[in-house]
Amino acid sequence: MKWTRYLRSWEFALFGLLLLELGVLGLVNPVFFNLENLLYSTLDFTHILFAALPLTLVIITAGIDISGVSVMGLASITLGLVWVAGVNVFAALAVALLVGVLAGAFNGFFVSRTDVNPLVITLGTLFMFAGLAQGMPALLDKLGFKAYGSAGLAAYQYEGITGLPDAFIALTEGSLGIVPYPFLAVLFFALVLSLLLHKTRFGRYLYLIGVNPKAAVYSGVPIRRVLVWAYVLSGFGAALAGAMLTSYFTSARADLGGDALLPIITAVVLGGADILGGSGTILGTLLAGMILGFLRQGLLALGVTNDLIQVVVGSLLILAMAAKQLLHVYGEYRLKRKALSSREGR
Amino acid sequence: MKHLVRSREALVTLLLVLLVVVTGLFNPNFFKAASIVEIFNASLTLVLIALGEMFVILTRGIDVSVGATAGLAAVVLGTTLNLGWPVGAAVLAAVLAGTLAGALNAFGVTFLRVPPIIMTLGTLGIYRGLMRIITGGSWIENLPQSIKEPNLWSFLGVPFFVWTTLALLALTAFVTLRVRLARYFYAVGDNETGAYLLGLPVRWTQFAAYTLAGTFAAFAAVVFTSQIGFVSMNAADGFELKAIAANVLGGVSLTGGVGTPVGAAIGALFLTAVHSMLIFLGVPGIWDNAFAGIILLIVVYVDYRVRSALELQRRQARIRGDAGGGA
Repeated sequence: MKWTRYLRSWEFALFGLLLLELGVLGLVNPVFFNLENLLYSTLDFTHILFAALPLTLVIITAGIDISGVSVMGLASITLGLVWVAGVNVFAALAVALLVGVLAGAFNGFFVSRTDVNPLVITLGTLFMFAGLAQGMPALLDKLGFKAYGSAGLAAYQYEGITGLPDAFIALTEGSLGIVPYPFLAVLFFALVLSLLLHKTRFGRYLYLIGVNPKAAVYSGVPIRRVLVWAYVLSGFGAALAGAMLTSYFTSARADLGGDALLPIITAVVLGGADILGGSGTILGTLLAGMILGFLRQGLLALGVTNDLIQVVVGSLLILAMAAKQLLHVYGEYRLKRKALSSREGR
Repeated sequence: MKHLVRSREALVTLLLVLLVVVTGLFNPNFFKAASIVEIFNASLTLVLIALGEMFVILTRGIDVSVGATAGLAAVVLGTTLNLGWPVGAAVLAAVLAGTLAGALNAFGVTFLRVPPIIMTLGTLGIYRGLMRIITGGSWIENLPQSIKEPNLWSFLGVPFFVWTTLALLALTAFVTLRVRLARYFYAVGDNETGAYLLGLPVRWTQFAAYTLAGTFAAFAAVVFTSQIGFVSMNAADGFELKAIAANVLGGVSLTGGVGTPVGAAIGALFLTAVHSMLIFLGVPGIWDNAFAGIILLIVVYVDYRVRSALELQRRQARIRGDAGGGA
């Protein structure tokens, strides 16, 4: 394998873009040259990465999972409720992650057993999980279980379930050296997923399913099982994101992550995954997510409002895609021309 | 009979009637004419947005920006009204804004060739951001009485907007059934390459679909602004997903080329009715979403089972060499 191949890859371009971005931001505002600060600011977008990384696997299979934003809220509120019930907060965390896995399995079951568009299925579960997260505390309360925590209903509606133990809050407040735990966890998660995607048979199956599901079936790929696992990982990632936000905001809420859908999908698509399936890498998603995250931080630091940032991110997504598509069309055109001229030359 | 089983409109209408009857049995107040009219009235926004979305889905596309488009159009309406524009001009400006927003999606999808979900996800962010930038993030209140008045007009006890929406629905239903140009939406969605080879203007048909989605979203904006009398910053938030759900419920297939305006409207009515029914049944409103999601999943699953059963039957008939097997 020639090393120049790496230089021409999309991930390398993203890496260059990330460095360029940090350089420009640093020149405008020297705070960005402070590594500790930079790493600390990742806390604001690690939840996007937690959800976007495994979503890459789903998108590689030509699927999509938009229910992740609801799973975040569901996992968060589950964590809170289990903790209020008197269970150790880390056991509650495990239950919340399990809920994410089950939610993913639910999606995967429907996606793999029917020919219904994954967008429709996860749209249905998006509503269902959000509804469950909103309804559960009220239902439990009616059944006589003090679901709202010590502060009661009014406080719950305003700030969710609060008063979580310090040991749990420390999961996001703490750091190893200057690297915050959540960012460390994201890197580890990315490493595991990357190995899974690029070094195992399971990973190769994902690509094959995305490129040509029929060929995958005929070559004996256990297509249903592979799909279910892809969605399970996506659900698990979303639950991790929900748990991380719970610790970061020090409260369990049903509506956490509601506005994360746009940045999550932007990260995956900007990372080089084709929404039609068959391509994409974990490294690409990780880099694109960081580019977007730091861009947001940088613009906020420059005094740009949240609203304008939304416009910028939306435009960036469209422009990146348009450039990629037009390059693709031009490449096809050149190939055809080449084929034509070689025929004429003969 | 076979046709009826296969028709999603029939399935969802049946489900709707069933739910209405059950709700009525638990709480007879539900049958009172006022509640029924109230449900119709409350469903108008979603019906209109879903109708626009239908064109896009028919061409095998998807538009997740329609809610944001409606919000943006509402902001244009509110802002121009408070600037002292006459109602007619303000409504026109809003409809124009919605149409332009739709046309931008259309441009990206057809000419820049950005995949629809990416394009409209991007503009979802852009339009929501623009809304707040235009207003500075505050709600638009103190709208003149002239915009709220149409909501009070009624004929035969049925509000003006219900009539106009029904008229628009009837028009759309007629056009999509009988007008050649509108059939292009079905042709392009069913088989894009085939439509292209037949000489149909594929790109322009897709362009028209996204633009219409924007126009209909603006209609919806006019209706809800008149109904509530102010424009909040999360106006029509989440309606894009509800509009897609309404279409899927009503039998508009995301694989393109299948579905009717009446189906989309019934789907939208269903989703709205669920909300009112849950209230009449004494279930708190927070369960809305869970219920809507479960119904959506059940409907697509039942539909899948019915389709695969019919397909199996057809294949078995073909193996046996029955005369009707090929049909």
